[in-house]
Amino acid sequence: MIRNQNPLFDSVLATLTDRQREHVEAAYALLEHSREPVHRQELHALQDPTSRDRLEQLLRHTGRVLVQVDGLRFTSGYDDTVAAQLTAAGWQPLTTVERAVLALVLIYSVAIARSEERLAPDTWTSPYPTTEADILKASKLPAVAAKAAASKLVAAGLLTRVRDRADAEGGYVPGPQLLRLTPAARARLQEQLILAAAPNHPLAAAIRERRNRTASRENIR
Amino acid sequence: MNEHDTALWWAKIRSGGPQQAPAGSPSPAGMRRLVEPDAQSVWFLPNLPPSAAPEVLAEYRQEPATLQDSAGTLRVFAACLRCCWPDPGTDLWPGQPADLTDVDQVLQQLTPGRDRASRRKLLSASLRRLEASRWVLQTADRVRLGPRVTGWGSLELSTLRELWRMIPDPQPKSDPGGGEVP
Repeated sequence: MIRNQNPLFDSVLATLTDRQREHVEAAYALLEHSREPVHRQELHALQDPTSRDRLEQLLRHTGRVLVQVDGLRFTSGYDDTVAAQLTAAGWQPLTTVERAVLALVLIYSVAIARSEERLAPDTWTSPYPTTEADILKASKLPAVAAKAAASKLVAAGLLTRVRDRADAEGGYVPGPQLLRLTPAARARLQEQLILAAAPNHPLAAAIRERRNRTASRENIR
Repeated sequence: MNEHDTALWWAKIRSGGPQQAPAGSPSPAGMRRLVEPDAQSVWFLPNLPPSAAPEVLAEYRQEPATLQDSAGTLRVFAACLRCCWPDPGTDLWPGQPADLTDVDQVLQQLTPGRDRASRRKLLSASLRRLEASRWVLQTADRVRLGPRVTGWGSLELSTLRELWRMIPDPQPKSDPGGGEVP
């Protein structure tokens, strides 16, 4: 099995020194495969402009971009144009029930907590679990399918299972993969949540209005 | 294939696991091409240099996004490996399709104390998780190894061969010289 030749890596990294190449490849591995975002101290490629440029090129060639999580930590996410094109072509790796469960957890753990000012704006992880009862009883999802969906979402890192403790009920919170969302993807998700959780709110009307305007402008073009 | 189409393929595989395409499809840059045994289709999966692959994470003490052994998924995978790879001297992929009853037999020995119903539940839930990331592929009552297993390097394969010997046999053969002990 040939594992060492990769024309894509070779073409992007060709002009780098061995040391720079090592740093860029390690940073690529850390950003792409870590469960959690990585501290910038570990990402030596970010400290040198040439290496950083090649790292971003390498990510872009593989449909990804660098995402800064906070002042210190980084991860990688889908390139917005690539994600938009795949979605427009109907690409959807999650089933309807899986998306419904994910949306429920985002509503209970993020949207409600944020509207009560228990979470800061633009935060997509949350310490407030969505209970199994919230997912099963309050929704119209079939129980067996919903449980299977939750277990697959946990395996994919989109949800994290919170175990029962004496003082609190167990359940699900958004998983570390949510930190990979780009600023544009977070803005889109925020709008979708408003449309889902408060369809009659003036904010939802404003979002629909703006989307209609953009859509009709694109149609004229 | 241009750069943009290549990026689309990488994103598809990142989100949906290794992808199957008709046999004549061009390979996206940097992808490994795995031909199905019937030669009708191919699988694409990233061919990362070892210095950019998940094994780098250990050096930096970072946790990879691995499949959690929630409720025994890895035991089910071990049982599949034992049944679909009858001879560890051969290549792991494509291996052989195995009957679910054989996998269940091995699982029974790996999970003593579980009753039949709870073992069935464990088997079907775990296979679903394993299939989602293409570690295994399922057809009706059979299971085979998925393209994902070709991502293991030679070092990991030698460890796997050691482990293979510790997994019980699906159909323990009766002693060939039974009863003729001198």
